[in-house]
Amino acid sequence: MVKIDLLVNGKKHSLEVEEDMRLIDLLREKLGLTGVKEGCSEGECGACTVIMDGEVVNSCLVMAFQAHESNIITIEGLDGEGSLHPLQQAFIDAGAVQCGYCTPGMILSAKALLDKNPNPTEEEIREGISGNLCRCTGYNKIVEAINRAKGV
Amino acid sequence: MKKRGRGIGLAFYGTGYGNGFPDVSRARIRLLDDGKVGIYVGSTEVGQGAKTVLMQIGAEALKLDVEEIVFITEDTSLTPDAGTAAASRQTYNTGNAVKIACENFIERLKEIAKEELNLNSSYGLKVEAGNIFLDFFPQKKISFKELSKSYGSGNIEADGEFVAQTIMMDPETGQGAPYWPYTFNACGIELVVDTLTGLVEIERAVFAQDVGRAVNPHLVEGQMDGGFAMALGYILFEDLNLKDGKIYNNKFSKYLIPTAMDTIKVENIIVEDPESTAPYGAKGIGEPVMIPVGPAILNAIYDAIGVRITELPVTPERLIKAIQEDNERKEEI
Ligand code: FES
Ligand code: FES
Repeated sequence: MVKIDLLVNGKKHSLEVEEDMRLIDLLREKLGLTGVKEGCSEGECGACTVIMDGEVVNSCLVMAFQAHESNIITIEGLDGEGSLHPLQQAFIDAGAVQCGYCTPGMILSAKALLDKNPNPTEEEIREGISGNLCRCTGYNKIVEAINRAKGV
Repeated sequence: MKKRGRGIGLAFYGTGYGNGFPDVSRARIRLLDDGKVGIYVGSTEVGQGAKTVLMQIGAEALKLDVEEIVFITEDTSLTPDAGTAAASRQTYNTGNAVKIACENFIERLKEIAKEELNLNSSYGLKVEAGNIFLDFFPQKKISFKELSKSYGSGNIEADGEFVAQTIMMDPETGQGAPYWPYTFNACGIELVVDTLTGLVEIERAVFAQDVGRAVNPHLVEGQMDGGFAMALGYILFEDLNLKDGKIYNNKFSKYLIPTAMDTIKVENIIVEDPESTAPYGAKGIGEPVMIPVGPAILNAIYDAIGVRITELPVTPERLIKAIQEDNERKEEI
């Protein structure tokens, strides 16, 4: 067992974790943050995307102990008191959600992109979400949603 | 060398189970607390928009705001069976069941209003915006809210059932009318083939889909975009690599599906040609949106390089091989 301290969605946690535990299991099983989805478990689909110290990571490829002293944001950390994050609202308004399985990861990749580059071109948006697979939408309405949210 | 080509693909597709197979959808409507109306229907939402579309059809039939509707689905202990979310059948088949159930519910409300308002007949009664009233004497009215209060939640209800009309084909001749209704679509593609690398790049895509009536245009576009992307992957990348019944490309690192970088903005054209047997003319398009894309891409490749591709997906290796074989054939002649 390893003792780790980390910040998740602005809340401090001190936990004992197994050496071979993945970050995705820590978030889902220990902290109940089931908005983090597991798709492929091999770093290809992006359903498990979270933001770690400002960078998007696939939480299925990060070990829990590697998150020691890091700052993690999951989809649950995005909405304020009862109100949606502009990206969440834009996804709804643009019709960018179908089955919804890719949505948490998509929104976090989009947030990380907009935090670094507040005014991306369509090409940059497509590149920014290229690590997140979506089987339903064909991506067009997702790109449109991120375009809508970038000014907000 | 880079070669440019254009191609089109056309398709028609019969929705529903078809071929004489019993295709039944059911729905139930109930007056709930505070004048709200519950629509109970066992249609499964998987992201295609069944909940939204069926709620819209119900709101239209009841002449009620969607905010006044409580939509209950996917709970088999509460909802009548509406068949599978398959065969592109929920909008047409279950949409019809919801509409019929709403019409039966309105008749039930009129009978009750006749008693409550001491009328001779239910003739001339109208149901609109949560009120039942006499068209030529609107002061004679009773609201859904008042009925909720006096009858209690769930005690006024009506069912609806829609049984689709399909006929089995003659097994000897293959003749008949196995599906009803059909939907039609067309896709146009402009692309560039790199004859050196075998890469195909789609530059422009136009997609026209007949939906009968677009109950929710936003969702229709979503289905068209999704079908296009799935077909693009099917034609250009996706290979299960099936050998002796075993799938070898069983993970995303081997089975490639399109990313946001591989798709392009499709120019969608929604064609509205109302179907007379459909709820407000609307037909399902979930599956048909994939069909014409493949032929359009393959025709455009043929237009670009003069080679017919007969094996999918058109990977760069396959395309190069097809070009080489074609050259050898030409040399022989
Ligand atoms: S589950 Fe982590 S990338 Fe697919
Ligand atoms: S909405 Fe279903 S995978 Fe993206």
